[in-house]
Amino acid sequence: MTDTGAIVRKGADQTPVVAYDNVRKQYGDFVALDGVSAHVNKGEVMCLIGPSGSGKSTALRCTNGLETVNGGRILLDGLPLPDAETEMRKIRQRMGMVFQNFELFPHKTAVENVALGPTTVLGMSKAKAAERAMALLDKVGLVTKANNFPSGLSGGQQQRVAIARALAMEPEVMLFDEPTSALDPETIGEVLSVMKRLADEGMTMIVVTHEMTFARRVANWVVVFDHGKVVEQGPPQQVFENPVAERTRDFLSHLGWNG
Amino acid sequence: MELDLSPIWDNWRYLLGGLGLTLLLSALTVACSTVLGAAIGLARCYGPRWLKLPLVFYIDSMRAIPVLVVLVWTYFAVPIVTGVSFPPFWAALIALTAHIAAYVAEIVRAGIDSIRPGQVRAGLALGMSGAQIVRKIVLPQAIVRMLPAFGSILSITIKDTAIAAVIAVPELMKRSETVAGQTYHPIEVFTLAMLVYFVILFPSTRLVDIFYRRVAHLGRS
Amino acid sequence: MSLDWSVVWQHRGELLDGALLTVLLTVLTMLFAVPAGIVLALMRLSHSKPLSAASACFVEFFRNLPLILVVYWAFYVMPVAIGIEFSAFTTGLVALCLNVSAYNSETFRAGINSIRKGQMEAAIAVGMSRWQAMRQIIIPQAWRRVLPVLASTWVSLFKDTSLVSVIAVGELAHTALQIRSQTFRVLEMLTAMAAIYWLMGYPQAKLVDWIHRKFGVKE
Repeated sequence: MTDTGAIVRKGADQTPVVAYDNVRKQYGDFVALDGVSAHVNKGEVMCLIGPSGSGKSTALRCTNGLETVNGGRILLDGLPLPDAETEMRKIRQRMGMVFQNFELFPHKTAVENVALGPTTVLGMSKAKAAERAMALLDKVGLVTKANNFPSGLSGGQQQRVAIARALAMEPEVMLFDEPTSALDPETIGEVLSVMKRLADEGMTMIVVTHEMTFARRVANWVVVFDHGKVVEQGPPQQVFENPVAERTRDFLSHLGWNG
Repeated sequence: MELDLSPIWDNWRYLLGGLGLTLLLSALTVACSTVLGAAIGLARCYGPRWLKLPLVFYIDSMRAIPVLVVLVWTYFAVPIVTGVSFPPFWAALIALTAHIAAYVAEIVRAGIDSIRPGQVRAGLALGMSGAQIVRKIVLPQAIVRMLPAFGSILSITIKDTAIAAVIAVPELMKRSETVAGQTYHPIEVFTLAMLVYFVILFPSTRLVDIFYRRVAHLGRS
Repeated sequence: MSLDWSVVWQHRGELLDGALLTVLLTVLTMLFAVPAGIVLALMRLSHSKPLSAASACFVEFFRNLPLILVVYWAFYVMPVAIGIEFSAFTTGLVALCLNVSAYNSETFRAGINSIRKGQMEAAIAVGMSRWQAMRQIIIPQAWRRVLPVLASTWVSLFKDTSLVSVIAVGELAHTALQIRSQTFRVLEMLTAMAAIYWLMGYPQAKLVDWIHRKFGVKE
């Protein structure tokens, strides 16, 4: 880990919302995560960047238990994630996840998609859930599309509904797994601006992304992955403009990043 | 429940003969229905329009009528209509072929239809003739795609040969029936028959699955 | 060759009864075999090894046996094994149910597996349990894929009911063959039998085609 002694991170006075403590994950012989340590504080946006297959998505998916870790721990608000599935389910209610392929439920309308979590998991009444859903759809700018099915929405619109769906559970932290990788260039912007608004409102976010401009402008903390290891982490100014690690420089130059 | 396996030991040669006939009838039926079914399927896809209607009628009729009915009609009714009578084995072969060829024809048609028109256009762009396109581009891919469905044809055929027992074809089912009736030990005999059929049928679909997985990439476009 | 087609007309009542019994057998079997197929599929897909193995054994066993043999076997084994004398109708029904449940289980399993993994993940990410996700997200989507195959299975079942005739259940095939034996009008009765099956089966086959077109998944 690089020495960032001069930098005081946002929200550093409290327990980190999510912390990775020497996390290891392997699939058979393949080591996907090799001792990853990092943390994100309340109100911070932490971006995970790195080449494909470097482990950043795996780390994200371990955070809400879609994958299990083989070594080390992941902590939510200072407490390690439980092993039991029933306990893990409660943990997941405190995290929201947005997928690369949106994964909206095609047989339900936009507002039904957003309201499904509150009604099914939180036991909220249909009316209250619908109210919350409409408010969130308004927030992402899609209240006019509330009764559309996903098939009637563009990619960018679907992803915004997916963000609303995750927000409906009022999570403590939002996890984004390459949210714009499957989008047309024209629609990437609308999703990124929703994410920026969320960040401005103080949502704690962990974002796996290839959108370097977004990371540079919105992130408070950037973690660079390579071959399952964290090769560098720090504030975006440092990682993008004065990277310490060789691998970071390689990665950024491959992306044609010239600051 | 006491089990007396002596009827099996006493009659194992007889039953084995029945098994042999089951396998022979199955093999011949698969061969004949493949040829007939492929011909019908190809005729449906590439043949003249006036031929398509009767072929579709034939295929749909075989989907509507049980194998049992076709078997019985072939063995008992055809001699009355045509004056030609068949021994049970041949009647069964004809009936089963007629029935199963309809399924094969549908599989062939579905396989050919699944090849994207873009593939044909690519062939045309290269200057190939229609026949060449069918032979070199469409059929090789289509045949690979047909394999999983074809595996089930093998399985269906073996199961259908058991129905030939009703017209007294001396295959395994019929002979099991006979031994069971004569020795008054139906449970032991029919249980053995079940095990034998299971042992033949279980691997046959698996083997086709395995073969398909090896060659599946050849059919993807 | 002298043909007397009036025999068919004279026995039309019996033939109609036989046809109705064929339909009844089909309906009753499906009423049982569809829920049974769902249960077996969920067992097979569950994380519990014993449940999964039990379901797999049952399904593989009954998928790889000729139905006519299962009918005979049920006829002889059931009274001895369970100690109650069942009617031929019940025995035939049991054999059909066992057979079709196994096929349906594979149909449902394939349907459920065809739904993208991401859908289950998205449901779990929002905090649903696997069972909630299955019920609300996976199975409702799988229905569309499953319906055309179930329709085909229905038509196959309809034809397979003819096999219970071997244990003297009075459905259409048995009835027609009985009348043939009584009246010696072989060609007339066999042709009538084929024609009645055709009349009932052809529209069903066409309906299945329509269902395939309407609900078929286009990749």
